[in-house]
Amino acid sequence: MRLALLTILVTACAACTNTALPAPTQAVCPSPDPGTLTWDSFGQKFMTDYCTACHDSSLPHAQRNGAPLYHDYNTLIGVLETPDHIDQYAGSGPAAHNTRMPPAQCPTDKGGPLNRACPTPSDAERTDLAVWLACERNRTH
Amino acid sequence: MRGLHSQEVALARTSGVRPRIGGVALVGWVILRASGVARADHGMMMSGTDHATSEITAGLAVEAAGYSNALYVGTYQGVTPSLGWMYGRFGTTAAISLYHVDENGRSVRGLGDAMLGAHAIVVATDSLEVGAGLHLMLPTGSEPDNLGMGHAMAIPSAWLAWRARPLTVTASAGYGRALVALGGTQHVHGAGPLVDPMNLQELTWSAGAEVDVGHGVQLGARTSGAAPLGAGQLRAICGGRVAWATPRVTTGFELSAGVAGDPFTVRGVVETTLRF
Repeated sequence: MRLALLTILVTACAACTNTALPAPTQAVCPSPDPGTLTWDSFGQKFMTDYCTACHDSSLPHAQRNGAPLYHDYNTLIGVLETPDHIDQYAGSGPAAHNTRMPPAQCPTDKGGPLNRACPTPSDAERTDLAVWLACERNRTH
Repeated sequence: MRGLHSQEVALARTSGVRPRIGGVALVGWVILRASGVARADHGMMMSGTDHATSEITAGLAVEAAGYSNALYVGTYQGVTPSLGWMYGRFGTTAAISLYHVDENGRSVRGLGDAMLGAHAIVVATDSLEVGAGLHLMLPTGSEPDNLGMGHAMAIPSAWLAWRARPLTVTASAGYGRALVALGGTQHVHGAGPLVDPMNLQELTWSAGAEVDVGHGVQLGARTSGAAPLGAGQLRAICGGRVAWATPRVTTGFELSAGVAGDPFTVRGVVETTLRF
């Protein structure tokens, strides 16, 4: 009886955190790479619009509003340091639709207090993000 | 006879506290404290545990720590209430922490992962005690906020304690495993969470010694940690502890330092336990 109760409790609490775990989107770059999604045409604007208020290499740890160190997306090289993380937190693809990032609250000014709702990318932008990352992984830099 | 060592029993019953305040690697230590090692400090190794007596304890621990790892720099503070119940050789515990975490300039408050535990004393003599336990951690803490693992964990463990008055030496070993598919993408940032990091699968260990210096005061030192099985991060801590016990109340202070794996830089814990 006690074991049964414990099992029920564990099962119930398995859903205690309602945020989906990060998952790879498994997006693939078309072959051959059409070159339509690039840092200049897509990535830089996406990162500026949704990420670099916190994920910027110019920000010291105390002004990053929780962004992990060395997760800086103000340059293409920075993005390519952690493309899997970006995909698993913000990308959308055949295997996952990840919406952990951006978070609910963002700073108005880079490094400032969290005082506004974060702008949110559309589903199409998230899909493009995942495809762009898949393509960038295969490109020479 | 029980009254003579009740203060230590009280401390022992705080088994629910240390898993949260000291890392899950310390589960073995927890059980050691919970099972009756503390009683040994009063020269009464578990000769009394065969008697089917029932006891309830309530504990409260407050902790503060600073950390600086590869991804985050900050501090955290936690408050951990706990309840324990012991019946003869068998015991159960429950605890949950409330944290405030500052992580790279972001301030977060919330619950950590809840802990449930059960343990049994298998061998009990005047000088030696051996036991086993199982702890479950439930994902009540927010994984995105680095307050919880994001999944349940199971940690079976075994311990032993040897007593040569006034010295008590303890050791434990355990196995922690996430109750999810290990091939998943959890912990993309390594061991998590910030407040009590664990790997998806790991071997845990602890070792320590305490000396009864009289008047209910004990001084001790210990080390503990975990080695990942597969991908993960080795971690280890060491620290010292002083405790003062009365028949109904035990209060202790522990100061620890992270020596591997960056679980924290320095952490202080004050805990008080009442026995009923």
